[in-house]
Amino acid sequence: MAIHYIGEHTWAGFLGNVFLVLSFTAAILAAVAYFLTASKPLEDNSWKQIGRISFRIHSLSVLGIMSILFVMLYNHYFEYQYIWQHSNKEMPMKYIFSCFWEGQEGSFLLWTFWHVVLGNILIRYSKEWEAPVMTVFSFVQIFLASMLLGIYIGKLHIGSNPFLLVREMPENMGLPWTKLANYLEKIPYFQDGRGLNPLLQNYWMTIHPPTLFLGFASTLVPFAYAIAGLWKRKLDSWQNQALPWTFFGIMILGTGILMGGAWAYEALTFGGFWAWDPVENASLVPWLCFVGAGHVMLVNKNRKISLFTTFFLTILTFILVLYSTFLTRSGILGNTSVHAFTDLGMSGQLMLYMLFFVWMSVTLLVLNKRLQLIYTILSFLLLFLGIVTGVKTALVSLFGVLSLAVLIMGYQKYFPKEEKEEELWTREFWMFIGSLVLAIASFQVILYTSFPVINKIIQVDFVHSLIQGLHGKLVQWFNFKGLANFASGKLAPEKNAIAFYNKWQSLFAVVVAFLVGFGQFLKYKNTPFKPFIQNLVAAFLIAAILTAFISYGLPKNNELQYVLNTLLCFSSLFAILANIDYWRKVGKGKLSKSGSSIAHIGFGLILLGALISNSKKEMISRNIRGDLRTIDKELSNSSNILLSKGDTLPMGNYYVTYLGRRKGLGEDHRYLYFDVEYLKKKENGSYQHEFTLSPLVQRNERMGNVFEPSTHHFIHQDIYTHLATADLDPSIGANAGEYTTPVEKTAGRHDTIYTSNSMLILDSLTTRFNKSRYHLPDSVLAVQANFRALDENGKVFAAQPVFTIQNNESKPIEDTVAALGLRLNFVKVDPANGKITVFVSEEKTNKKDFIVMEAMIFPWINVLWIGCLVMISGTVLAIRERIKKRKDNREQN
Amino acid sequence: MKKTHIIGIILIALAIGMIMSSLVSTSKYATFSESSKNPGSDFHIVGKWDKEKGTEYNPQKDPNLFVFYMKDQEGVEHKVLLHNTKPQDFEKSEQVVVIGKMKEANFEASETLVKCPSKYNDNKPVQ
Repeated sequence: MAIHYIGEHTWAGFLGNVFLVLSFTAAILAAVAYFLTASKPLEDNSWKQIGRISFRIHSLSVLGIMSILFVMLYNHYFEYQYIWQHSNKEMPMKYIFSCFWEGQEGSFLLWTFWHVVLGNILIRYSKEWEAPVMTVFSFVQIFLASMLLGIYIGKLHIGSNPFLLVREMPENMGLPWTKLANYLEKIPYFQDGRGLNPLLQNYWMTIHPPTLFLGFASTLVPFAYAIAGLWKRKLDSWQNQALPWTFFGIMILGTGILMGGAWAYEALTFGGFWAWDPVENASLVPWLCFVGAGHVMLVNKNRKISLFTTFFLTILTFILVLYSTFLTRSGILGNTSVHAFTDLGMSGQLMLYMLFFVWMSVTLLVLNKRLQLIYTILSFLLLFLGIVTGVKTALVSLFGVLSLAVLIMGYQKYFPKEEKEEELWTREFWMFIGSLVLAIASFQVILYTSFPVINKIIQVDFVHSLIQGLHGKLVQWFNFKGLANFASGKLAPEKNAIAFYNKWQSLFAVVVAFLVGFGQFLKYKNTPFKPFIQNLVAAFLIAAILTAFISYGLPKNNELQYVLNTLLCFSSLFAILANIDYWRKVGKGKLSKSGSSIAHIGFGLILLGALISNSKKEMISRNIRGDLRTIDKELSNSSNILLSKGDTLPMGNYYVTYLGRRKGLGEDHRYLYFDVEYLKKKENGSYQHEFTLSPLVQRNERMGNVFEPSTHHFIHQDIYTHLATADLDPSIGANAGEYTTPVEKTAGRHDTIYTSNSMLILDSLTTRFNKSRYHLPDSVLAVQANFRALDENGKVFAAQPVFTIQNNESKPIEDTVAALGLRLNFVKVDPANGKITVFVSEEKTNKKDFIVMEAMIFPWINVLWIGCLVMISGTVLAIRERIKKRKDNREQN
Repeated sequence: MKKTHIIGIILIALAIGMIMSSLVSTSKYATFSESSKNPGSDFHIVGKWDKEKGTEYNPQKDPNLFVFYMKDQEGVEHKVLLHNTKPQDFEKSEQVVVIGKMKEANFEASETLVKCPSKYNDNKPVQ
């Protein structure tokens, strides 16, 4: 009997699923139609219209999917799993976009959406390249659309459907509540959603993912053009089309990555903008390769050399994006990163997605029909074996080795090679070298990040024996034990992994920056040596002098890193100055011809800013209380300081006081701010307020409390602080100024009343005191109780509550000891027994309020941010120049 | 030899050097017993913390010392001294990775990674 559930908006899920299936099938149709169009001669357009219409239907379906999801989020349809998991009623609507892409399905959808946008632009503007390029696009869309299907073929689970109802989730199937028709009303679970992860509740999460995913999506365009060029045997004309897209992609992806860094700096508490975390690396690696591809593409367009490298790097960039997707979404990184990767069971699909395009690329690159056929047959054989036997790692590794072997063979035998003139002092040679260095740099990052993948491969029996054998021989012959961890198949990054990445990446940065400096003054084909050197002398000398000064301030504790830092300082300064010079001399200071110079200046600034702020980063919150004997100097990370409320402690060049905590207002009620005042001691000994920082906690009982930093920005440095620990007991300073219910106490002369933080001693009672202080006429009967309040350190405060009788009523006049958070009300006198009655009320914050805080100084970090803006602007200018050049070329022909 | 070829060789040497360095400058996922046998080296140990033995964190005394007990994947348990602040929501953790060395009977950790439970485990309707 079919149950009719009350309150479910099934139309939304139904429509969503229709669009999902439509997007998938339309992508298939588009791929087939465009494939046929591309295979036939240019004049035969019979299938092109079908291709276009199919892709448009696919595009509209994708928009449909997104719209339905937004409608569901906006209207809180918590019966749907995706809505329940990523949103709630309380959440401010401005974060609705963050909810959209918080989940894997949503971010796949975002990615698909950008491909749809780019694809439609290409349909309009790619002219004779449309068919082969759109074939590639459509195939990619088939894979992406399949990620959202959520269907089962036998035991095989394909995709993850964002439109599943909670009661349809596999773990809920068959549970009794799913048979209840009115479960939505009855069960509290459905009254509200789980909500957005607190870490994602800020504006960066609204702009960083779309920018980043547009960046990833844009790597597809040059890839598609490269494939099209190989397919249609137009090896030399696709570059012109792809170049503006390549630099557009470099700009957008670069911007997305930098936004991620800015977000980390502003919202996360690890203390910095880059942590070489796998998710960060996964986006940087394709970008480095992308920059290399773009520059070698320029060389190839101008001089018709390095053709294979151009193809290789362009294709590799896209493949790296697919590999990064696999790495971050398959769950394989589980133990290596703090990011919670929920394995949606799509690792097989993601692997297949990547392998399909590896196969496509290698096949087309080898250019010889027979080799292509052999390779294809072998590949599909391996695939078949993999599906049938389930032995995945070994067969995928075998496929990798096969593809590499075939590629090398194909390149040697069949790839057209140019006659190498190979003059050393040419622009094309050094740009080529630069691209190779970038590729090696990106390889270092991906290698170190891929340890879990490497471990899996080594654990394959025959690979394991091979590597163990190698390791054994190395120990036996050379006593070299370094590969022991590698051979064990349990590789982990070394303890200070960040320093390791910094070491190698600074080396690569030194080389690249140096090339960026002198490369501009090199000419194609040949460069007259003397004028070339003369152009660079000024930049070289000034950079050297500045470096000599700056290097005094660089940390010298690690010799190797000190040398690298000094070299990088010189290199980046040289790059900046040489490009300013080039802009002056050749660009004549005109904005229109200066895109690349400005972009390079920005790049140099980024390197310089990152170098200085990172190497001279100073922990000013070194723990000054801990007993140094008990702290193991090598292991201790004693960079956190404990501040009790009211304490003033020296920290760096400042004195800091923890003032107390306060709750955020309105929308921000989940935020708890901890106000820390920064003071400077003046010559006369008094303190002067400089500024206040309020590191905070975002309270979220469900998903864990999240600490967020608070930073003060000067021009020449940032002071960055965050809490490591704070007691979040609500009885502590719920609101400053909140007092407990008054407690009645009786005391006679010389008696002591105890409070949680002080002793009150009643010294005397007096009727002779200055009544006008309390605006009392002399005629009123009044008694003043003189208390001495002593705090834990023996400091004395005065407390003088007054008892009065006015109009025949007892009216106490309260006294407050602010420093102790005490309120006293003198309400009764008992002259017979010589006792008085007072009501004592304490500030709720009297429970020990302390925080554990970390504070660091980032010197000159603004150089980094300025560099980002400059690099982005320069790249935009360069893209505009290139589009204009292409238009002019077309008009000439 | 052609100058350009020399540069090419330098690049290849750089690449090989980088690969070797990356494979050698590593730590290893291990168990407490292996870490005890090699007291000088750093290891990554994966395991679960022992809820019954509780945790110890007295920021008033030393904000950078957090003590707890952990069982590795072989079931061996050791006391862990983390020379850092207590990680947020440590009590909610399902799995813990500690990085450090064994010293006598205690594991001195400099870093820890805490893995929180999967998203599907909270507040399921029970009926």
